[in-house]
Amino acid sequence: MDKSTIVCRCEEITVGDVENAIAQGAETFDDVKRLTRGGMGLCQGKTCRTVISELIAQLKGESVAAVPVPRLRMPLRPIPMEILAANQSGTSAMFDLLDQASRKERQEK
Amino acid sequence: MSREYDTIIIGGGIIGNGIAYHLSEVQSDGILVLDKNYPLSGTSGSTQAWIWIHSKSPSWYAEFSLYSAELYGYLQRKIGDIEFDRAGGISPFFTETEREQAFKLAECQAEVGIEIQVLNREDALAREPALSPKILGAMYSPADGNVNPMRLVEQYMRASKKNGVTFEYYNPVTGIEKQQGSFIVTTAKTVFRCKKLILSAGIWTRELGKLLGIDVPVKPVRGQIIITEPLAPLMKHTLSIMRQTSNGEVLVGNSQENAGIDRRSTLDVMIETANMAVKYVPDLAKAKVVRGFSGLRVMPEDEFPIFGVVPGIENLYVAALHSGITLSPLIGTLMTELITGGETSVPIDRFSITRFA
Ligand SMILES: Cc1cc2nc3c(=O)[nH]c(=O)nc-3n(C[C@H](O)[C@H](O)[C@H](O)COP(=O)(O)OP(=O)(O)OC[C@H]3O[C@@H](n4cnc5c(N)ncnc54)[C@H](O)[C@@H]3O)c2cc1C
Repeated sequence: MDKSTIVCRCEEITVGDVENAIAQGAETFDDVKRLTRGGMGLCQGKTCRTVISELIAQLKGESVAAVPVPRLRMPLRPIPMEILAANQSGTSAMFDLLDQASRKERQEK
Repeated sequence: MSREYDTIIIGGGIIGNGIAYHLSEVQSDGILVLDKNYPLSGTSGSTQAWIWIHSKSPSWYAEFSLYSAELYGYLQRKIGDIEFDRAGGISPFFTETEREQAFKLAECQAEVGIEIQVLNREDALAREPALSPKILGAMYSPADGNVNPMRLVEQYMRASKKNGVTFEYYNPVTGIEKQQGSFIVTTAKTVFRCKKLILSAGIWTRELGKLLGIDVPVKPVRGQIIITEPLAPLMKHTLSIMRQTSNGEVLVGNSQENAGIDRRSTLDVMIETANMAVKYVPDLAKAKVVRGFSGLRVMPEDEFPIFGVVPGIENLYVAALHSGITLSPLIGTLMTELITGGETSVPIDRFSITRFA
């Protein structure tokens, strides 16, 4: 493959970009993703996952099976914010920065 | 045969890399950074990456954070583009109680030189038109901003390598011993020997400390984030629950959970986060969420940074803290001053690990 061949269409990442990442020590799809943004776009790696994993295997002289599989991220398909927000959740894990600041200021006194 | 270095840094996140880079500016060789995975696999690869100052409390901590923010422009000139954006920070509020809290906070922060304006609804909307008209007002500070954490770590590594630092990835530390003035650091692949040792392995610093009989009281606190598809420029500032990156995605999230070492996303928190997103910025309703991720905050017992020398074991240093993105250049600078035997340019006694004794 040519260095300029695009492997991740969403983020326009090329073979050369992936090679660079691997030269910097990246060994997995997730490593390459964080360095290049390949796989972070709209399709979330559905198109490029295999190609990038194969490139890693090739460059490292391993079999594709030896390259760890990437983590899949929820939601598996893009979903409008309002659909998520139309639901109510049972927990409250949220915190308020202003409230937290006031609490700490009081603790200090 | 063991390999020898002057200084070994365990943990190649934003903190370990920040220290390695700053140290490499004054000590050109003999530095090794070890990581059990690849550097962005820990907390530094799953963060909001705000450079956040104005609602840090108490004010001495906000002031400390401000010093670090001031270093960022200079850092970017030295190591290359890290997408540093001093966008200004906005914390919207919805109740009168919060408005009172905001005025009090602004007063405290003014004493240490941090400017906060408490805006009414109209002024807040004029400044950040994407905000909901239902807000009562907002705090605004020009001190805050954000950075791209992936670029930051990458540029730190590049600059450090140029300065002679060695990196070893996928090489976990499994044992540490002190023998005749040297540390023997055993890893999965090699045995290393060094004079000075720095523990900066995020939430795993506690485990490493145990190998030397010290307790570094940090625990993981999970935070979940959701990310939208790239959107046209929508918000200008770093908001207290979200920010838009330079390529258009919006990152939303401010959850805190004690979930141990568990980095899954959960639907209930994603739902809550989405509700919060549209409450603050109604235009986000139509935006598509493409991904959720979570990260584990490196949370010290009293929530303030733990860094500096470890008394009792000569040449041992520790750096484990939350808000590591905000504080990275300052921690790197101060640790370098300490390691090279100088006096720190800012007093750091209150961050000593001895406070937990
Ligand atoms: C959701 C979320 C949002 C956040 N938002 C912000 C924010 O807006 N602004 C801000 O300033 N901060 C924020 N933070 C905090 C910030 O991200 C952290 O303080 C920072 O990333 C910690 O960096 P670190 O280098 O200490 O840890 P890490 O990035 O976790 O690095 C530690 C490294 O040590 C390595 N390691 C562990 N054990 C071993 C071993 N035995 N041998 C070798 N290597 C080892 C790991 O592989 C890892 O790479 C946020 C955190 C979360 C989770």
